[in-house]
Amino acid sequence: MRNAFAKALIHAAQADERVVLLTGDHGYSLLDEFRQVCPHQYINAGVAEQNMVGVAAGLAKAGLRPVVYGLSAFVPMRVLEQIKLDVCNERLPVVFIGDGAGVVYSTLGASHQCTEDVAALRALPHMAILSPADTWEMTACMELAFVAQGPVYVRMGKSDLGTVHSRRPDVAWGEPILLRNGHGPLAWIATGSMVPTTLRVALHWPGSAVWSAPCLKPLHPGPIVSIGRRYGAIITLEEHSIHGGLGSAVAEIATSHAPTWVCRIGIPDRFSRGCGSYQYLLAEHELDDEAITRKVRGFVDDLPGNVMQKPSLMAMQQVA
Amino acid sequence: MRRFESHRLRQTVLRMAYAGSSVHIACAFSLIEILAVLYRSHMHLGDATPRAPGRDYLVLSKGHGVMAQYACMRELGWLNDWHIDNYFHDGTLLKGLSDAHVPGLEVTSGSLGHGLSVGVGLALAAKRQGTGQRCFAIVGDGEMNEGSIWEALLFAAHFQLSNLVVIVDANKFQALGRTQEVMRLDSIVHKLTAFGLEAYEVDGHDESAIDETLSHIAASTSNAPRALVAHTVKGKGVSFMENDNRWHYSRLTASAYHGALRELKTIRRAGGVSLLMTKPCHQGAYAPRSPNLSMDV
Repeated sequence: MRNAFAKALIHAAQADERVVLLTGDHGYSLLDEFRQVCPHQYINAGVAEQNMVGVAAGLAKAGLRPVVYGLSAFVPMRVLEQIKLDVCNERLPVVFIGDGAGVVYSTLGASHQCTEDVAALRALPHMAILSPADTWEMTACMELAFVAQGPVYVRMGKSDLGTVHSRRPDVAWGEPILLRNGHGPLAWIATGSMVPTTLRVALHWPGSAVWSAPCLKPLHPGPIVSIGRRYGAIITLEEHSIHGGLGSAVAEIATSHAPTWVCRIGIPDRFSRGCGSYQYLLAEHELDDEAITRKVRGFVDDLPGNVMQKPSLMAMQQVA
Repeated sequence: MRRFESHRLRQTVLRMAYAGSSVHIACAFSLIEILAVLYRSHMHLGDATPRAPGRDYLVLSKGHGVMAQYACMRELGWLNDWHIDNYFHDGTLLKGLSDAHVPGLEVTSGSLGHGLSVGVGLALAAKRQGTGQRCFAIVGDGEMNEGSIWEALLFAAHFQLSNLVVIVDANKFQALGRTQEVMRLDSIVHKLTAFGLEAYEVDGHDESAIDETLSHIAASTSNAPRALVAHTVKGKGVSFMENDNRWHYSRLTASAYHGALRELKTIRRAGGVSLLMTKPCHQGAYAPRSPNLSMDV
């Protein structure tokens, strides 16, 4: 997926000389080709993220198309106020790339792990948030980001977890993408790294429908409302805090427009405890297949019986 | 009528502050002569509209002094008396800190340490695009507590942004006290020089000295970003506000307003030279530097 990002970036820079990449001294090997191919569009701003974002704002004000690359623990977290005031406030077209989102820097601890970026950015006016699940979505998201009229954050995992699409999907603002159709009763909406996991786990519940949500903000109410009306319950999955991310966004829409049961699966409200592999840390946060299956089973068991036994009338009509 | 006369700019600031019951009067008063000289003689304003293409940028990183810039914008005809007399009234545009949504203001600041970086970006863009635009970024000495200021200075020097002029309004005070006592800065010009800027210092209320130094800066051919440390007096121009940090926060009563206005009109009759006793500028061993005595080493 990171290679797809690097390719998309080079493509954008070659197509438009206004594209300028800024990095806070990060991107070892990832950005090497960009540096070689587009040396005049590459700026290493040093280990000074706050200034880097302010500079990007100035460049955007003057008509350039800056891309700010960093680890998500630093961009956006360390520079949240610069993003708010210098960029979002004027709705400047700056693309932020947050690499290594989630707990993938599993051996590096709290400084490099980031499970709060989506929550932080969702509250900033004008900010769009993209969270691609595989190389196909990444390519589509990068194209979307470069035609945006305002700031965009692209959340990127570091590990390649395989593809979930067999060809390039249409990624549209605010719309989840249907990956596997089913008549219910469970509807699964996942984002980023959790999409491949979700495709596996959902098989335990025949009839499950699975969506990928590469666009977390805006998240249009329409598709969520129609999912909420058609299915008995929604399961959301993300490698992000259960507070403020995809699950919260879905629940906000559901409570306002189409009350339904929502099970939010993500990082619990705590920091990682142990050191170890990425897989180890996912398990620590109960985001491995087994733990998710257990959680969903518990959730389903607690639902009123009629939710699971009776696919909704509309779902039956859809199937018919 | 000569534009940007300092006593008139200060009167405009007072009118606004009184109309809006605004604070930060002293923060604006230290800036007046710097802005007057910039707008009168050094800023390229293009077609003289606030968003003129190709204009030089004036970035007020110390957003607290924004009333001084509003006063200049009134001289330019970008604001009128209605704006001045309805300051802070419900639904109006002009805020108490610099806001980029106001035509004529380039950045949103007031959270300190932001504007300089944006100004660095504007200067970098102008360099890359070869537009010849310059960027004058005004920071406060108190604002230099912020780490991002030093990040921006490092960046500007590294990328040789010779079209950037960092102007420090060194009024020796910040919100809760004297800059030297809150977070000791010592010689700003030495620090700027050490960071690779071509730095000068000047009496920030001596318009001809500011003018001369800015001309010297413009003529210099070095690749370094420029810096001008303007030694100023917080609250300059009104005797009871000068060096009295309460005027960072205080609002004008009717008697304070009329008293301050009377003083400024007295100065006007005296031809721009204050007849009033003013308190000493600051305690340090500062001697105004002539422009040809650059700190460039």
